[in-house]
Amino acid sequence: MSTVESIPKKLPGMDVNKLGKDLYEVFIGPQHPGSGHMRIIIRVDGDVIVEADPDLGYVHRTMEKLAEGREFIKVIPLMERMAILDACNITLPYVEAVEKLLDIEPPPRAKYLRVLLCEINRIASHLYGLGIFGVFLGHSTMYMWPFGDREVFVELAEKLTGARLTHTYPVPGGVRRDLPQGFAEDAEKAIRYMEKRLEEYRKIFLDNPVIQKRLIDVGVISKNLAAQLGIVGPNLRASGIKYDVRIIEPYEVYDELDFEVPVFEEGDAFARAWIRIIEMQQSLRIIRQVLEKIPDGDPLHEKFWAKAPALYKKVFEQTKRVKLIPLYANLKVPEGRAFARGEAGRGEIVYMVESNGSTKPYRVRVVSPSFRNAIVFRYIVPGHRIADLPAIYGSIDYFPPEADR
Amino acid sequence: MLVDIITWPPLFQLVIAPGLVAALVIVIFILWFERKTAARVQMRIGPYHVSPRIGGGLQLIADLVRYSFQEIIIPKAADKPIFIGAPLAALVISLLPVVAMPFTTVPKYYPIPMDYSLLIAVALSTLSPIFIIAAGWASNNKFSIIGGLREAFVITAYELLIVITALAGGVAVLSYNLTDIVVAQKPFYKWILFTNPIAALTMFAAILMATSGFPFEIPEAENEIVAGAYTEYSGLMYGINMGAAYIKRFAYSLLFTLIFLGGWLPYEPSSGLIHGYLIPLVIVLVKSTIVMAIMSFLRAVYGRFRIDQALDGAWRIFIPLALIGFGIALIEAYLGVYA
Repeated sequence: MSTVESIPKKLPGMDVNKLGKDLYEVFIGPQHPGSGHMRIIIRVDGDVIVEADPDLGYVHRTMEKLAEGREFIKVIPLMERMAILDACNITLPYVEAVEKLLDIEPPPRAKYLRVLLCEINRIASHLYGLGIFGVFLGHSTMYMWPFGDREVFVELAEKLTGARLTHTYPVPGGVRRDLPQGFAEDAEKAIRYMEKRLEEYRKIFLDNPVIQKRLIDVGVISKNLAAQLGIVGPNLRASGIKYDVRIIEPYEVYDELDFEVPVFEEGDAFARAWIRIIEMQQSLRIIRQVLEKIPDGDPLHEKFWAKAPALYKKVFEQTKRVKLIPLYANLKVPEGRAFARGEAGRGEIVYMVESNGSTKPYRVRVVSPSFRNAIVFRYIVPGHRIADLPAIYGSIDYFPPEADR
Repeated sequence: MLVDIITWPPLFQLVIAPGLVAALVIVIFILWFERKTAARVQMRIGPYHVSPRIGGGLQLIADLVRYSFQEIIIPKAADKPIFIGAPLAALVISLLPVVAMPFTTVPKYYPIPMDYSLLIAVALSTLSPIFIIAAGWASNNKFSIIGGLREAFVITAYELLIVITALAGGVAVLSYNLTDIVVAQKPFYKWILFTNPIAALTMFAAILMATSGFPFEIPEAENEIVAGAYTEYSGLMYGINMGAAYIKRFAYSLLFTLIFLGGWLPYEPSSGLIHGYLIPLVIVLVKSTIVMAIMSFLRAVYGRFRIDQALDGAWRIFIPLALIGFGIALIEAYLGVYA
């Protein structure tokens, strides 16, 4: 009758369960300020973690299944929801896979614009990760600074695409909008500002003795372990393996650009913090080059213009915005399977798109970087203290919505 | 007559200044200052919308009012008497050390006989952690218990540091009378901060440790254990808990000011209530507020240590430093620096 009685006496995870002599089970999360939207079940002997079990799925949204019920174009805004702060990187391989099925190649200007937004997103994503990392270590300044500076790049993305986060910028055959006027100057300003700020991050965060004490030799992923577990992204490169899809299998125009992929040998949380700072510097370099090299031309494949009414072409000439719906509403993708991958902020993202010739995909398979990195908790957390868990969690830059899909 | 009753030092010091009333005002100021400086460093505005003209100065009052009217939720499984009693006891007992502190050289305005006041003040300041541990235990929550335990671990490290470094001040002057310690620090360059900086630095770090200041904000590390021993508290009870921590820091800052910063010097108390008691009191309050402000600023600079690193640092670095400080004090006493 009363609601109080209907509450079970014991809620799983509320208590600390005794498993054996000196061994207790503690549930960290999913409602915990240091766990994000996931649960890590740890077994502790005193303060030392003996076993850690990342328990995924708290924010699972059946994205792959949902994708089967939508038109090809509508899958892009859906997949963006995995990691809205990294929207372009996350959806670009899907778009490429669809393009492979359609057998079209986007015009070079579109390729440059895609890379431009990808790198803006990568910076925003790394800044987000660093901010969370900072607050996990109790460093409130390192929480506020990157979140504040991220605004610069979010606004840059807004200028380019019209949306702060879920841009849906790359579409099959090109991009949704052309470069706005005066964008290069704004970008140059942002780049110069960020270069200065990265130096300040180093001073207050990476050179901070307290932070160094917390991070150096904490959560070490050895080269061997990293390769065995198949982790990806900056975490892998911090362990000494030079693996970056932008280098291994250059997509879009990455092979025409000059940038370096930083690699660290230490594999500890400190190296993972450093590598993000350096990657941001490289991304700034890429943005500069893109804006220098970007060719003139149409940002959308002519195949789509051929189908469009003349009015749409006129609207595009005036506003530089592509009207999407009539071009894509009945986009039939030929039968077949296509596979594409890209380097998102957190690592390699892989799509497999299968079409049966209709307007909706038959199957979209995604393997996201955070999902591939999640396993690492099981192997590197044991042996550390409970207080190290947020430090390791933050250094992995694990993003539950991306892993759970 | 009424003035005499109100300014009867034991009562006046506990209730009005530097006790409850002044402490509340200073804590509210320090909280505002802490939020404002952190905001300035972090490219934010900080408290603003309540009373924008004075930079959001009334925000904390608004928060206090909100806390007062919030429902106090007591978990079913909590040990109620201790759950309610512990924060209140912690608040009152954090204030107790101020009753053992002199703010004048006029014997009429001593709250207690001053001969061993340093020892009494230090002893009283060590009482409150037990109630934080009790609060954590009574909450019956995994994070509260871990928070209480961490508090217990940290006590073992900082208590000894505070005792050794505070006594170093007494040893240098060869007196446990706080008035003697202050008077001996005349003129300016004989502040014990300058003659014995190692002891002063160590006590500063120990106070940070004792009051969960950064980089030693370990018992309340929110990303690890939610709010430590205070996890289950809500409304006014949470406010009292937080207030108790800041009042404890305030009491330590007063002690630090008296021992190392020359108390009410360079002012010379003369007779009369205002010249003999209130003016030196205000000088001490201002100095200790500055000490607290410096401690608050560290929040914007540092992250937090891991508990074992903090304990390791306390035992391996700060205890030897405290002993060195004590040795310096002994040498000073031998050479008669403060004779």
